[in-house]
Amino acid sequence: MRSSTSGRLFHAVAGTISVLWLLPIAAVIITALRSFDDIAANGLAAVPQSFTFAGFGDAWTNGGAGAMWNSVLVTVPTVFLSLALSSAAAYALSRFEIPGRRTIILLMLAGNLLPPQILLVPVSKLTELLGIYDTLIALIVVQVGFGLGFYTFVLQGFMRAMPNEVQEAATIDGAGPVQIFWRIVLPMTRPALAALAALAFTWIFNDLLWAITVLRSSSVMPVTPALLALQGQYVSNWNVIAAGSVIAAVPTVAVFLRFQRHFISGLAVGAVK
Amino acid sequence: MDRRHFLRVTAAAGAGLLVSGTASCATSASSGPVAQTAGTATIQSNLSAPAAKAAIDALVKAFNDRKGSQVSVNTVASETFRTQLPSYLTSANPPDLFTWYPGALLTGYEKKGLLLDVSDVWQTMGDYPQAFKTLSGKVFVPTTTYWWSFFYRKSNFARWGVTPPNNWTEFVELCKTLQGKGVIPLGMGAGSDSPWTASAWFDYFNIRINGAPFHRELLAGRQRFDDPKVKAIFTPWREILPYTDPNGTAIGFQEATTAMLQGRTAMFLTGAFFADAAPKDALEDIDFFRFPIIDPKVPLAEEGPTDGFFASSKSPHVKELKEFLTYAATVEGQEVYIKNSSGTILPTHPKAKDSGTALVKKGRKHLEEAAEITQFFNRDSSDALQPTADAALVKFLQQPDQLDTILTTWQKAAEQVWSS
Repeated sequence: MRSSTSGRLFHAVAGTISVLWLLPIAAVIITALRSFDDIAANGLAAVPQSFTFAGFGDAWTNGGAGAMWNSVLVTVPTVFLSLALSSAAAYALSRFEIPGRRTIILLMLAGNLLPPQILLVPVSKLTELLGIYDTLIALIVVQVGFGLGFYTFVLQGFMRAMPNEVQEAATIDGAGPVQIFWRIVLPMTRPALAALAALAFTWIFNDLLWAITVLRSSSVMPVTPALLALQGQYVSNWNVIAAGSVIAAVPTVAVFLRFQRHFISGLAVGAVK
Repeated sequence: MDRRHFLRVTAAAGAGLLVSGTASCATSASSGPVAQTAGTATIQSNLSAPAAKAAIDALVKAFNDRKGSQVSVNTVASETFRTQLPSYLTSANPPDLFTWYPGALLTGYEKKGLLLDVSDVWQTMGDYPQAFKTLSGKVFVPTTTYWWSFFYRKSNFARWGVTPPNNWTEFVELCKTLQGKGVIPLGMGAGSDSPWTASAWFDYFNIRINGAPFHRELLAGRQRFDDPKVKAIFTPWREILPYTDPNGTAIGFQEATTAMLQGRTAMFLTGAFFADAAPKDALEDIDFFRFPIIDPKVPLAEEGPTDGFFASSKSPHVKELKEFLTYAATVEGQEVYIKNSSGTILPTHPKAKDSGTALVKKGRKHLEEAAEITQFFNRDSSDALQPTADAALVKFLQQPDQLDTILTTWQKAAEQVWSS
């Protein structure tokens, strides 16, 4: 009896929280399905008087399609490169007695604590000096550079928790460091890699700051600055912006759903350690 | 499982990386201004609103169709543009042309040698009034302008049985009558992302009472915000505060427009650009009247913000960009732009046709009647001074009895901006 009352209470509270949580998302979707004239005449908060998919079409043709592709071109190589580099670094830092490795790890972590805002101007000037300003390469390089510290830190913690015996056994069997990394450490790190990949994908896909710092042409802008560009100087078509936001959210949601299982198990493995 | 599977996935991802790597190289080569080699001048545009974007695209297309020099347009969000403009201008390879407005900011960049002297474009602009020339200096070419005034719906005024006022006393009477009918007389959209709209009220009270020359001196830092003359303009403002939308500092400009269109508020002091936020069928019902005259001895001044282009002094495409500026300043270029815009903006060329609606014709006459044109608070001062005005005026709207403190704080904040 008691348990059923508390169960009901739990569901009531959790249900209310979920509804509150989903309310903004519902508002965005409803706005996306209204026409501009309806919003202009009745206001954003009014009961919808129209139903149209025109906002999605507008957002897609007003630079949405190109921006989406640019985002993919930036995000996929960046996630891959940063995980490849940071897992190699983490392997070296966690499994070998490298002199000063604690300092290196702390330095990497310290770099992450710097607010990126103070680096905007130097980064923009640097990309210009390298001749890659306003190219997607610049954005990839910057994103990889800024992600490495954190990914390495997480992965080395994870790899350090692996039992030494596995590595020793492999060494006895004649495996070199590269083989151990490739055949034993990497496969064992998969949950952490998957979790990090999902996280990195969301961060990079949703980044705005670096994109507008190193890019200037609308033809190379990824999806977040393109969304911002849908806002006018004075007047914004909220239905188109809402539709654009919905479109922009699809890839991250898809990636997250795909990696959800790994994500949770990755977190759990870290916790038990 | 899966080592093999894992390797296969890795290999596939690697291949994908290679492909996308080359693809992004191709993209950068074709579009990055850094790799720019062809004789095409680039316009960096902040006209990201759909209507304005369509207009500049049409102008560029008309120019390119003449088979002379070629330009391309690159639109970024106006907010991104505003914050990134300094880094665009100081970069080694900046865009050639920029959309912007004349004012203190441009003068600053001109002094640093970052802007191109376009005096020879002005040689072709003999028809332009002296006022535009003075405003633009040597570095700016104005193409469009618009006006500020009280906008209202004709049908609503007819329904309430009221007519537009001719002076301040009539204006206050009108507010009183409307409030008696249960309507909020004055709309205000100084909340959300548009606190700057309150500055329009400040500008107008100041140019109606103290005149445009004093207003400009004040904004340039040669007068003080805690001056008794500035304090005096808040007396009539206080008089109409009870008639102002109490939600005015909570809602943004776009919502305030909706409130006026729905008849919840009766009139709304705003720029003609608000028409972009109105449904097309409502536009025919819109009319306006000028901010009422308070002191008839003060020469009539109106706010008429002007927009146009300036060029970077580092541009390697001087010939192309000047050809474009010349075209944008002609009757033909301006008419192409106006025809493809939302239709409430005015051309700067005195002979260019506007969109021809009754509203726009009246707006053009409205500006021509003025002895003096001011730009707008941030344009006559600077974008750095605007936030000090926003803070002061929004506070005044909420706590009008704190006026003395507000003005002292404002003066202090302004001094910091001027001395930096």
